Amino acid sequence: MSPLLMYQLVALMLLAIGLYGIVWRKSLVGMLISVELMLNGAGLSIVAATQLTEAGSAVGQIAALFVMGLAAAEATLVLAIIVVVAKRFKSAETDAVSRLKG
Amino acid sequence: MMELMAKIAFVVYALLILGGGCIAVGAHSLVRAMVGLISSLLGVAGMYMLMAAPFMAFMQILIYVGAVCVLIFFAIMLTQADAHGVESGSRRPGKAALSALTFITPTFVIGFVLVKFQPASINLPVEVPLIKIGQGLLEDYPVAFELISVVLLAAMAGAVLLAFEKKGRKV
Repeated sequence: MSPLLMYQLVALMLLAIGLYGIVWRKSLVGMLISVELMLNGAGLSIVAATQLTEAGSAVGQIAALFVMGLAAAEATLVLAIIVVVAKRFKSAETDAVSRLKG
Repeated sequence: MMELMAKIAFVVYALLILGGGCIAVGAHSLVRAMVGLISSLLGVAGMYMLMAAPFMAFMQILIYVGAVCVLIFFAIMLTQADAHGVESGSRRPGKAALSALTFITPTFVIGFVLVKFQPASINLPVEVPLIKIGQGLLEDYPVAFELISVVLLAAMAGAVLLAFEKKGRKV
């Protein structure tokens, strides 16, 4: 097994665990945690793909930094959305907010 | 000798990541899930160190563990998610099978592709000097760099706008 493959498999497991969590969780905060796991897998995969091959390493680290920035922006927005949902519905469960107002 | 040490470190970090991830998605208490997430993030930071990218490890700890996790703790606090209430309740019937399917499908599909088409990898990664990353950000990709600051500003402004909603005003 090449080193790159091992890192990619770990990143793949992070993606799979995150996907599992986003389906399994009932609360919005739990789903946010799963999304963070998946984004981490993406960052790990990008950095591994450039550090361990002949590709330019600086590009991979820049891309992973962008992923981190986007993750921070996403977490901020989701926090605001969760706060609004919790205020209006008095809970942050997905079942409570699953009905659209027609 | 160093190679053996690196292998041991890799296994330790992989266990930290996978164990933390399992706690993060499986724990009934959301605070425990957060602790799992933090250990997983620290494991990823260790892997960055192993790949000779210490700057990425530093940023990982600074941004994820320092900022994003505190944000999620605020989310737990503000929604007053009780320790055992939400996550331990019953779920809809097919949900376990569906979650297992979402775990298994990417694992096998992407895993098969990864193992079948293994790219050649170098064994000894070289550390990129920080000045290269800075030059890449400001000389090669300045538009992306500016765009991400605009995205962050928009996200913050949107978050403030959403959270400080006036009482009694319904959208």
